[in-house]
Amino acid sequence: MGTTDSVTALDPAGSYDLGSSTLQYAMYQQLLTVPPGTTKPEGDAAQSCEYTDASAETFQCTLRDGLTFSNGDALTSSDVKFSIERNIGIADPDGASGLLASVAKVNKDGTLSVDPNAIETPDDTTVIFHLNKPDATFQFVLTHASAGSIVDEEVFPKDSILPDSEAVGSGPFIMSDYQKDEQASMEANPDYQGPRTPQSPLVFVKYYPEASNLKVAIQNNEVDVAWRALSPTDIADLKKDDSVNVYSGAGAEIRYFVWRLQNQTPSQLAVRQAVAYLIDRQAIADRAYSGTVEPLYSIVPPSFPGSTEAFKDVYGAAPDKAAAAKVLNDAGIDTPVDITLGYTPTHYGPNAVDEATELQRQLNASGLFNVELKSAEWEQYQTLYQQGAYDLFQLGWFPDFVDADNYLSPFFVNGGFFDNGFTNKQVNDLVAKEQGSTEAPVRENAFRGIQKIVAQQVPLIPSWIGPNVAVSGPDMNGVQETLDAAFIFRFWDVTKGS
Amino acid sequence: MAAQSGSLPRYIVQRLLLLIPMVWLTLTLVFLLMRVAPGDPVTASVGGRLPPQALEARREALGLNEPLIKQYWDYLSGVLQGDLGKTITDNTPITDIIKDNGGATLELTVAAMLFALVIGLPLGLLAGRYRDTPADGGIRMFGIVTYAAPVFFVGILFQLLFLNVFSGWPLLGQSTPITEFTVPTRTHILLLDAMIAGDGSATVDVLKHLMLPAITLGLLICGILIRLTRVNVLQTLQADYVEAARARGIPERKVVTAHAFRNALVPVITIIGLLVALLLGGAVLTEQTYAWPGLGSQLITYINQRDYAAVQGIITLFAIVVVVISILIDIINALIDPRVRY
Repeated sequence: MGTTDSVTALDPAGSYDLGSSTLQYAMYQQLLTVPPGTTKPEGDAAQSCEYTDASAETFQCTLRDGLTFSNGDALTSSDVKFSIERNIGIADPDGASGLLASVAKVNKDGTLSVDPNAIETPDDTTVIFHLNKPDATFQFVLTHASAGSIVDEEVFPKDSILPDSEAVGSGPFIMSDYQKDEQASMEANPDYQGPRTPQSPLVFVKYYPEASNLKVAIQNNEVDVAWRALSPTDIADLKKDDSVNVYSGAGAEIRYFVWRLQNQTPSQLAVRQAVAYLIDRQAIADRAYSGTVEPLYSIVPPSFPGSTEAFKDVYGAAPDKAAAAKVLNDAGIDTPVDITLGYTPTHYGPNAVDEATELQRQLNASGLFNVELKSAEWEQYQTLYQQGAYDLFQLGWFPDFVDADNYLSPFFVNGGFFDNGFTNKQVNDLVAKEQGSTEAPVRENAFRGIQKIVAQQVPLIPSWIGPNVAVSGPDMNGVQETLDAAFIFRFWDVTKGS
Repeated sequence: MAAQSGSLPRYIVQRLLLLIPMVWLTLTLVFLLMRVAPGDPVTASVGGRLPPQALEARREALGLNEPLIKQYWDYLSGVLQGDLGKTITDNTPITDIIKDNGGATLELTVAAMLFALVIGLPLGLLAGRYRDTPADGGIRMFGIVTYAAPVFFVGILFQLLFLNVFSGWPLLGQSTPITEFTVPTRTHILLLDAMIAGDGSATVDVLKHLMLPAITLGLLICGILIRLTRVNVLQTLQADYVEAARARGIPERKVVTAHAFRNALVPVITIIGLLVALLLGGAVLTEQTYAWPGLGSQLITYINQRDYAAVQGIITLFAIVVVVISILIDIINALIDPRVRY
């Protein structure tokens, strides 16, 4: 498999990026895993897991019998407790310890520290998590490679990150040789126990610095599969190439534009709603991304239970200039309205500028807005949007786990992670409700309610959703099946040959 | 006679002593240039990902809160002890990066230099020997084009050509994954490791992967060598000692190869020292084009991540290599041409 993703660390506590997770899923076991094409976790190292109370505050797992790491050490409940407490304790800036807040002590300054009573291990195969708040998403957190991978307490240091060369796990593959930014070579783990039995004895991952390299590599049969991140132009080009297959699965990667509600212009609801009426998502998808992405009408992707098309329901599928003019007129707002639109030119790929330019064109063409584009590199951009340099700014999101909550609570509770000033009691209550329930209908109703309020209040505007795309040679099997919203490349299910 | 034979060791000692101020100046320039760049390196590389306290801790760990003169002293003493520091983004010792990736760059640049010498010198000799003939014109044109064409452009053209005409020829990387996996690492120079392992198919595989990047990079300096050799051959062919050789009835072929060409090589050898700098610069682009896992690729990766510590470390190595090779070339020149010592 070839990729342009880079790997920060093989130690789960030291990384929180897709490149690292892709290898970690293969190397380590988590208590739970997400099977292809679903959003419902099933046992991996765990034989079974369940909430033992109705309020989703206690989660209990029973491990499979006789689990071992690839070095022969036994994998017990003590390793599970060690792995999670170690992740929280190290709190590596590149790590995902923040996802484990429900089993940590939350300090006054917002940082996390280990709560020794949060994880109970009454015997070698039982782990009981005592959550500090109702959290129905915790089961999904345990599926994440960077938060939920189980490491060997005899090998991994408690307080620091293990060098890549020493990493061992109990997953379907053993890392035999790893050259950073160059190649990872993994052999099937004969002692693996779980649902992810490897179908290939040996797997290589080649790392390329540029998408153009990856395109050449798949066309020249130097890799069997190219997965992340070919450019939209390359994908469109490869679709015309008969020697390769381009597969596309349900996506989870989204782009959206956030309103900075603390600024004068976007503080007016009518301005936000007028832009929601005017945006032409299909034109953005076609002109900026060569039709390789799909219009997104809610922040929650369509493949997630509880997703709606709330923005289409409120503002329609096509741009409506008359409605935009009316909402501004009714609010007594003079037109054209001046807006500063921010984007970052490289962090989200070279097409980000095309997307921002297309939105600028659409809004200016209406005669109702006068949009000024401003850009900054990612490091500076993050500071600038928080300081209010832009009325509207472009961001992207990749889910931590396959649950609609991950597209809602980080965005709409008390201003969200981007601190845009949006606060809504109804939304906060609905988030608390869905997080505190393990009943799917209850949660999905709450998701729908939040999306409806968001569409009416417009703290942000969803733009598009990108599919999970892979390109493979003709004799590969299992590639299409792994392309889903979880964005896990399931090496264990992929085989070569007929 | 005694004075003359003693002058070579003295010359060598002088040049080696000169190495000290040259390296010092180079290190100072690298240090100052990295500090002239606007912004704080820690914020630039990991700014958005860390809270202010963690950023401050990283600045302190890297010594960036120290006075500039203290940072300068730490940098110099670190380099003298072979410690180039650690990267900001992934905390990797820079010496490890050099150890792991330097072999690939060495393999590429040596192969490129060999290609350039094997092609450039004979073509330059031919062009000089047959001045103003169609062959001379063709060779001069070739030299200008190869020198003027950007490395990445030539690389992409080669890739397109081979992809469409010689499909299946390796276009990326240093070897196939299985070669990388099976050849045990000893020297970190894959070609050498494959040969040491006695693995014939792996050796062939590495050579096939090496061919296009080496030709692409070699062409860059091939043009310079052609033009330089041609000019020097033209000059030496008009020299008195060449006329004297002809007058003694020595065959023209021997006059050209043994007298004119040999003497024409002296300035060429001098310029090879300068070409090393060009070669390393070209290697950065060549490695990126061919996904070659060398120091050039690493340099670009760390530049993109705004990791100033890594960039400083790798550039320091490049600069020292150029300085040391320049001195070595001076010494070789003195061995070949005694006039240089005076």
